[in-house]
Amino acid sequence: MSALQTVRDTVAGWLRSGEIELFIGYEAGTVPLRATPTFIRNPEDVDRLIWDATCENNLAAFLPKYRGKKVGIMVKGCDSHAVIGLLQEGQVIRENLRIVGVHCPGVVDVRRVAAQLGVPVEQIDDARIEGEQVIVGEQTLALRDVLFEGCQTCTCHAPAIYDVTLGEPVVDAAEGDSFAHVREMEALSAEERWVRFAQELERCNLCFACRNACPMCYCNICFVDRSMPRWFNQTTQPEDKQFYQVMRTFHLAGRCVGCGACTRACPQGINIRLFLDKLRADVQELYGYEAGEDAEAKPPLTTYREDDYNDFIL
Amino acid sequence: MADTTNKEQWQPKILAFLCNWCSYAGADLAGTSRLQYPPNVRIIRLPCSGRVNPIFIVEALRQGADGVLVSGCHPGDCHYLAGNYYARRRFALLQRYLEYLGIEPGRVQFSWVSASEGGRFAEVVTKVTEDVRALGPSRHLNINAVATKK
Repeated sequence: MSALQTVRDTVAGWLRSGEIELFIGYEAGTVPLRATPTFIRNPEDVDRLIWDATCENNLAAFLPKYRGKKVGIMVKGCDSHAVIGLLQEGQVIRENLRIVGVHCPGVVDVRRVAAQLGVPVEQIDDARIEGEQVIVGEQTLALRDVLFEGCQTCTCHAPAIYDVTLGEPVVDAAEGDSFAHVREMEALSAEERWVRFAQELERCNLCFACRNACPMCYCNICFVDRSMPRWFNQTTQPEDKQFYQVMRTFHLAGRCVGCGACTRACPQGINIRLFLDKLRADVQELYGYEAGEDAEAKPPLTTYREDDYNDFIL
Repeated sequence: MADTTNKEQWQPKILAFLCNWCSYAGADLAGTSRLQYPPNVRIIRLPCSGRVNPIFIVEALRQGADGVLVSGCHPGDCHYLAGNYYARRRFALLQRYLEYLGIEPGRVQFSWVSASEGGRFAEVVTKVTEDVRALGPSRHLNINAVATKK
């Protein structure tokens, strides 16, 4: 019996015994190389569940919507840190959760596949993953070459919180600085950094997919939806797009676990990670804190030390 | 209001968020002591520097402030005991983040000024005004900026 089948049986058992009323997992999607989230309430449906490198969504984003319900969920390594973040902030209760933790070797980035083949993303219609290879039509690519950028320097392949696991442990990227892209941006001049930021944000069409995909963006009323005071005008002005992204990302300071769900969800391919990871790097540097590591830890912006970094004050 | 369209007559507009208990009283003391400081600063009084939501600062830049100053009580002197400690963590991250995104260093500054430091308040405002004057009119995030429009 395959490992996946064992997990399916476990999930069916949880549903039958009433331990959970809903299981959130992945099923084969209608778009190539992209699995779709699935919500299983009936034990007979567990055969729909799949796991492979196309399972890119961070399903933890659904958990705050089922607050107080008993749910099961499938999480990758990075997603499991988001679950810890939600536990920390009191959005979910551990007793209500049944977690299938996946040892994740990384998820595929369709844009990279398209770029390697030199075709637009829309033209990829016949593609599948077989073992370590991505097969697109007649062509074969190595999966490791078309992984999502963040997965290539991943240091959290293994789930940090789980009831049962799936898959074999994956060795973390040996060397490789996971903030290399941040250091690269920091090395630019202020004007160059602004151009980089403004150019990325130019493509934003304020669809809020990043916010919706983010497991930590669970505010009942997001600042962009607030009408009193109305902070935000949903226009095509670059300043409005910039304002949105600055404030959304800053609200994740000390909370972002770096799963990259926002960046994968962006239909315009904006590299949101490049901005969020600066906040993660700074929180680590200034406050020695990593989000989603310890469910008991206090988030860095809800606490302080008298000898905190003070050099920036006049 | 200063004429912002004419380069020679341009005067920086600086928005200052001052805490009620220390920096605002410090500003008051600067005034009653007849200390001179640049008139470029517009003051908003808040109960505490901890009340300053980062969105206030970014919104100020968006609406056209050339610079933003946030000032509160010295660490340990907060009227609410720890408001400025929490604020300090947020501001440290925000300042570094805005600079990372390409906002020029000096546009957004933070200081601690106590109620007895009228002279210090005048110094801080002078420094911030001169820093911002050297940077010129705000160009980034500013919804009214002419330079960034195509």
